[in-house]
Amino acid sequence: MQPLANITPLKPASRAGAVEIRGVGQVFKTSTQDVTALEDVSMEVKPGRFVVLVGPSGCGKSTLLMMMAGLRQQTSGTVLINGAPIPKPDPNRVGVVFQEASLFPWLTAEENIEFPLTLRGTPKVERRAKAQDALKLVGLDGFGKRHPHELSGGMKQRVSIARGLVQDPPVLLMDEPFAALDEQTRMTMGDELLRIWAATGKTVVFVTHSLTEAVYLADEVVVMSARPGRIVDHLTVSLPRPRTYEMLSGDVFGSLRDRIWRHIRKSA
Amino acid sequence: MSANTLRRLIIFSLVVLWEVLPRTGLIPELFLPSLSSTLVAGWNEAGEYGHALVVTLYEVAVSMVFACGFGILAGAVVGSLSRARILIMPMISSLYAVPLVILYPVFTVWLGIGSESKIAFASIYGFLPTMLSTAAGIQTIDPQLLLAARSMGATLSQLLVRVIIPAAIPTVLSGLRVGGALVIVGVVVSEMLISSAGIGYLISRYRTILDSPHVFAGVLLVLAMTVAFSAALRWIEQKASIWQTGMRGGQTEGRNIRPGALQPAG
Repeated sequence: MQPLANITPLKPASRAGAVEIRGVGQVFKTSTQDVTALEDVSMEVKPGRFVVLVGPSGCGKSTLLMMMAGLRQQTSGTVLINGAPIPKPDPNRVGVVFQEASLFPWLTAEENIEFPLTLRGTPKVERRAKAQDALKLVGLDGFGKRHPHELSGGMKQRVSIARGLVQDPPVLLMDEPFAALDEQTRMTMGDELLRIWAATGKTVVFVTHSLTEAVYLADEVVVMSARPGRIVDHLTVSLPRPRTYEMLSGDVFGSLRDRIWRHIRKSA
Repeated sequence: MSANTLRRLIIFSLVVLWEVLPRTGLIPELFLPSLSSTLVAGWNEAGEYGHALVVTLYEVAVSMVFACGFGILAGAVVGSLSRARILIMPMISSLYAVPLVILYPVFTVWLGIGSESKIAFASIYGFLPTMLSTAAGIQTIDPQLLLAARSMGATLSQLLVRVIIPAAIPTVLSGLRVGGALVIVGVVVSEMLISSAGIGYLISRYRTILDSPHVFAGVLLVLAMTVAFSAALRWIEQKASIWQTGMRGGQTEGRNIRPGALQPAG
């Protein structure tokens, strides 16, 4: 896959793409009691790595992701993207991909992808060119004029990924992006994502419920426990790349998935 | 046979029945004058009906601006501020269930029997559904869309213009449909009750002298008005769907039972 004009591989020297989380805590105040959602969470993601967050429901993995996106502020601790705090969303540093329903239904695919550029007042010609590059990157060349309701679930998520990448941020955050897809589409989209990731060299932080998906995609898997959300394990997936379907039935894959499952069963 | 042809056929046979049944004497002309005698009656008094139509249209237009303008504005505020919603919504909802027409005599005491009391009454009558539906439209916007826009760095005003308004348009339009229909009802009913001009007044006056053809001529005019309103709204919905292509709700909705038809007319 050759690098595209505006979505270039990162230069290795800078801290671009580094995600550092140090002693982060989050307390939700309700009228009756304070709920600790996250407690002393620390992790580091090196530039260009693919890291997956897994854990039982309510472990705060999505909350943690929202903090990296600048959509939520932690009660204590530090979150650094490219070595700097992120007090509010910054699409130049961080692109976010949500679940299926986050495309604007009244805009075409390319208008959806251009949306972050439109917000910034980028001239139309430049917007269109970048959207076309992003569409090509995600394998949707020629589908730009369609509306979301004319696209399949997998195609919609490709558009979402293209939208997350269109401003060429070093970090891509993905919040259960394939949760609403069927099993086959989910596998295909996983491979597609790995291809896009390899082509762009982004740092990816990916939240999922699926252990298979986690091990299949990740360089590293961060396992969290619930109430309060803590990191209970941080394991490296030594499987070679590119990942293949055959690895799913191998011993390495199985033992990694078992190890994660034991943590989750304990805390759920 | 397609649904379209069938629909035309039904309308056509209703028109024919309207002409034939009174003529054959199956229905006395006093209860239902034939279509032709209704049209002739209307034509003979064209000047009077024309003047009444102008009065009624003026009242409807002004009430429509008040009802829809303030309805959308208030709905937007109530829909986006939860505190305002908690304070106001229970009151509005119970007010909506009250047959507001019982208040109309009070309006004539305050504002006289001229156009002002009709406009005030019809504006309030159409305001409630427009507001309720706008509030619902804004409240039910998918939070995921707002979150996505914020993650791309949207400011508050960009959220409003680029996400909230386009997302709320279909519900607001269906609110306008109900609200607008109620404005017409409000104007005509109030003219029929206490007034000195307008189509409702004519209908009411001819009824007291048992002049059925003239009553039905007025009814036909009101019918024409609501049909024109409905067509205008469908045109707006189609225009809106150009930047609303994702949800073409408006166009098909007009073909189904019109929400306005389900409202209590009192």
